[in-house]
This record gives sequence, structure tokens and C-alpha cells, in this order.
Amino acid sequence: MATNQMQKPAAGVRLSDESFITVFMVGILVLVFALASLFVPNFSTAKNIFNLVTNNWFVIVLGVGVTLVLITGNFDMSVGGNIALTGVLSVYFVQGVNVSQNTLANGLGLPYVVAIGLALLCAVGVGAINAFFIAKLKVPSIIVTLGTMMLARGAAKVITQGAQRNTSLPDIFGWLGSLSIPGTSIRLPVLVMISLIILAYIFEKKTVFARRIYLIGANPEAARLSGINVAKYLTALYLVSGLLAGITGILLASEYKAGVSSRAMGYEFDALVIALLGGVSINGGFGSVLGMFVGAIILSVVTSAATGLLLSPDWQFTLKAIVTFIAILSQRYALDRRKA
Amino acid sequence: MNGVKKQSFQFQLGRSDALRSSIKQVYIYVVLVLIVFVFSVMKLDQVEMFGRGHFLSPDSVINLLRSAVPILTLSGAFTLLMISGYIDLSVGSAMSLSAVVYALMILNGFSFWPALLITLILGVIMGSVNAYLVMNLRITPVIATLVTLSLFKGIALLIVPDGLSAIKGSPDKAMPGWINDYARKEVLFGLPAAFWVAVLVIVAMVIIQRKTILGKYAAAIGGNRIAADLSGISAVKIVWILYILVGLFAAMAGMARASYMSLGDPLSGDGMELDCIIAVLLGGTAFSGGEGSVAKTVIGSLIIICVTIGLMTVIPAYWQVAAKGSVLLIAVVLNHLLVRDTASA
Repeated sequence: MATNQMQKPAAGVRLSDESFITVFMVGILVLVFALASLFVPNFSTAKNIFNLVTNNWFVIVLGVGVTLVLITGNFDMSVGGNIALTGVLSVYFVQGVNVSQNTLANGLGLPYVVAIGLALLCAVGVGAINAFFIAKLKVPSIIVTLGTMMLARGAAKVITQGAQRNTSLPDIFGWLGSLSIPGTSIRLPVLVMISLIILAYIFEKKTVFARRIYLIGANPEAARLSGINVAKYLTALYLVSGLLAGITGILLASEYKAGVSSRAMGYEFDALVIALLGGVSINGGFGSVLGMFVGAIILSVVTSAATGLLLSPDWQFTLKAIVTFIAILSQRYALDRRKA
Repeated sequence: MNGVKKQSFQFQLGRSDALRSSIKQVYIYVVLVLIVFVFSVMKLDQVEMFGRGHFLSPDSVINLLRSAVPILTLSGAFTLLMISGYIDLSVGSAMSLSAVVYALMILNGFSFWPALLITLILGVIMGSVNAYLVMNLRITPVIATLVTLSLFKGIALLIVPDGLSAIKGSPDKAMPGWINDYARKEVLFGLPAAFWVAVLVIVAMVIIQRKTILGKYAAAIGGNRIAADLSGISAVKIVWILYILVGLFAAMAGMARASYMSLGDPLSGDGMELDCIIAVLLGGTAFSGGEGSVAKTVIGSLIIICVTIGLMTVIPAYWQVAAKGSVLLIAVVLNHLLVRDTASA
């Protein structure tokens, strides 16, 4: 009963606030896209639209975990470092033993499947460290996850001696990243992205677990008093977020056939930005994965339009900041108007 | 401020609390001494005690204190802000932007004082932006300052011309040599003006925290925002002032960094927010605010600088990130063990 109080459809016609914001952001997306098509040549071609949706699959995959964590009112800033760590580890585990003088070419020589399993385990391990500090010790998540971000990226740097590992890899290593549906250009990572969005959507709307996450975000104290084991839910979400970062790391490493320690710099910020663009609020257990997806496409339209208008890449930080502020403020304005 | 009162209260609670309280009082000094000791005895087979290349040789100590200037300048105000329960993650980018703007002005013929003044005004503006977003538009501090982190960094990158990595002298336009004077030229005991300014800032911040209304109100707001509001404290005004102070000293730190490196690097402040958070946590300031000490943050800052510089001589550079991450998590654990219960008491 408590789980449903957040978004009660009043008369069936009225949308929930979350759907309203998603629709609102779809409107903004259409507007931004129309503007971009007017000013940037070849913007509204089918191929470009396809690229806009699929090119940022990694941020969207991360965004699923980050959004769910954010709905509980917590952050996960460790995902970028986690990607680097998992990618580097998956390479290190499969590299041959004692094949070269160069230490960066030598690894553990494990079979690929075992290597992936172990790397994913490490990614979940980072999530577990987060969960321990946040759920058990009650430390603010921003501080903990910034720490584990450095820890994970630092470990990646140590393993690669500050650079990357890309030699003496078995052929099978690139298989996952280049796998695609025969005859189309839809690659495995994109399929992962799409299925995650669908899964997350069903999870969010249909399971008690998800509704409790919203309650935790809306009022942790009330959630605790109504018998929800908050620590358990937070732990589960951080493990999932770590796992998703791990999957992303492995796919990226496989795609580039290299474990690079500086991979995914700033992705944690991008994942946060798209969640905010999609209307996720950290104040009140509010938001949806679908909204995050719309946010991701808005960001991708804006950044690629900026590139199309020949703005230098230095613009991206400023642009993301401005877009985020506008999104936060316009969403709040829209919600306030709606309630009034 | 209420340290004494809280301490006497602690003694009534029983021995374990009294013990914890006294550990809390001294542990940070012990940690600092331990770290200095470890780095001093390391490599003693290669260098002699206090000799050239030793961790405690005069050269090395002066170098260490010079590199500590930015964090020493900044961490005091940062502590006050965290005591009031707010946070500013944009300090690193604010530093970078100030460094770039300062270097740009010097390169284009400004003299020292006008350049300094404009940089400080920039700092006040950046602090005001954060304050406005957090206090007036009521955006969560972490989100608001993360986004301004991106904003300030973006502007700094935009100011630096395409193809260059920093604002620096070129053959046709040399950077004036005196840009170094502020952060490198000896003034007293072999240390530059920037260091003594940082010391003054720290003294001022300690006084503000312990002796002025601003410090007491900051603690009151961090302790219980609603109670503070009800007792007539204007939280909005106080936190505005604190954000402006943080912005101001971030600009000052950025300018010191630019002067030290004689260039304006748009990435020079990266990670400063984490250093500040580590220093503050080591110094025993409660996560949620309400309690803390500027003086101990200064010791925390020295610990970070010792670890950074000391490790640089012992292990390869690519260990730095992992080392700092571990220090942060250790600081979190120490802080949890020593602070949390007393804060709730």
C-alpha cells in the first residue's frame, strides 16, 4: 500500500508525474532535434538517427544502474573507473603467460570465459565495497563512490603501468565486441542496451522490489519504519550498477581489443547527466529508466549537433553543464505548474 | 567551539567514550608524525638523515610546503562549508579557471595587483553562482556543484586557444618572468609570499571558526538546519557567505598554482575537491556537518601532501591514483570510527 502512494493515477486519464516528465522530455527532444536538423546539414538522415541512438550505448547501459541508484537518493560515481578496471582485467587475465620480455604483454593465460567471469566478479566487488560503506557504515555515497572510482581506476593504472595492455591477445578476445546480427549493423552492445532498457522498464513498473526503491528514495525513514530493509536494497542496487559497469568494460575492451587504463574518463558524469535530463530527481524517489533513455538521446543530439556546427570539442563540458541546468529547472517548472 | 562542552559531556558517558574522545583529539597528529617517520626512515641506506634527497632535508621540506600552498589556502573555507552541511565539488575547476584567467591577464600585460584583483572577483562570482544554484534555486549541492565543475572546466578549456594545452608564453609573446615571484621567490625562511598568505588565510579561518558568529552559525546550520532557521539564523545568508569564501580562496589557490607553474593549465586543479574532502575527513569533521575543526583540516592537508610527495619518491607515478583512493577510503573509515557516534551524541 505504501509502495503505491508515489504515483497514483487519479482518474486513469491523468498521467503519473514520471510519465509526464518523460513525455515532456520527449517534447524537448523533438524540439532540439528539429532545431538541429534545420541548422546542421544531413542531420535527419536515417543513418544519423540510428547512430544517435546507438553510439552512446555504453552511457545508457551505465545509466540504467546509475538511475536506479539515483532513485534511492544515492550516487554511483565509480562506474567510469570500474569500466577501466574491468576492461584492463579482462585483458590481463587472457594474455599469455611469459610470452614476451615486455611485462605489459604477459598475463595469466586464462580461458576467455573464465577471464570474463573473474573480471565481472571484480566489477561486482567494487559495487560491494560501495554497498558496504554506504549501506552498512552510512557514509554519504558521493564520497565513497568518488573513493572507489579512484581505487578502481588506480588499480587499472597499476596493472597497465599507467598505459594500456593490447598485445598477445587470443583471437577470441575481439569476438564479443564485433558480434552483430547478420546482415544488419546492430551489434551486440546495442542489443544489450535495448534488452536492459526493456528489462529495467518491466522491473520498474511491475515488481514490488522496484516500488520499494522509490519509497526508499522518497523517505528512507518511512521506508525503514514500514519494515523495508533499506541496506539490502541499496546493496542489491550497487551490485547491479557494478555489474553493468563490468559488462560495459568487457564489451568496450573487446571492441577495441585493448585494456586502456584511461578508458571511460568522465562517463560517470555523463551517466548522471542523462539521468538528470531524463527527469530523475535525487530528492524524492522520482524518475524512470525510460526517461533516462530519452535524456541520453537528447544529450547525444545536442553534442552531435554541436560537433556538426563545428564547435571545438572543448565545448562539450560547458554544453553539458548548461543543458543539465536548463533540464533541471524546466522540469521543476513543469512539475510545479502541473501541481498548481 | 562546542568541543569543550561536548568533551566534558563525553566524560560523563563512560570510559570507552572518554577514550574515544581523547583518541579523536590526538589521532591526526599521530598519523602525521607516523607518515613523516615512515618516509624519513625509508631509503636511509641511500641518503643520509636530513641530507640531500632525504624526505626531511631543508630543500625537500620547502618544496613540500610550496606544493601545499593551494590546498592550505583552500581547505579552511572548505571545512567551514562542510561544517555547515554543504559541499562544493567545483573547487578544482574553479582553481583551474582562475589559473587560466590569471595567466592570460599576465601574458597580456596586466601587472600583479589588477590581475590579482580580477582573479579574486572571478572567485567571488564562481562562489556566488554555486550559492545561487544551491540556496536560491534549491538544487542539491552535490548535483549543482558537479555541474558547475563541468561548467568552469569547460570555460577554462574554451579560453585556452585550440592546439595549446595551456596559457603559456610563446616565442612571439613571452610570459613575463615575474609571474613566478608570488609562489617561488623567497620572502621569509626560504618560503614564498604565497605560502605566508596561505598561513594568514588559515589563521583567519581558524579565528572565524572559533571566535566569530559566522563559525558558530555554520555549525548550527550543519547541526540542525530547522532549529537554526527557527532561532533566527539566516541560513541562506550564511551559506552564501561560505560559498563565496570557498570560491574566493579557490581563485587564490588557482592563482598561486599558475604563478608556481608560470602557465595557466585548464586541468591544474583536477582532483582538488577530493584532496579537500580527504583533508576535511581526516580532520574529523562530521559528514553531515555540525562539527569540525579548521585547524585539524590543516593537519589533514599536510598528511595528503606528505603522502603525495613521499610516495612520488618511492613508487612509480601510476600508483598515485590508487594510493589516493585508498587514503580516501581509510579516511572515511577513521572518520566513521571516531566521529559518527560523538556527532549523534
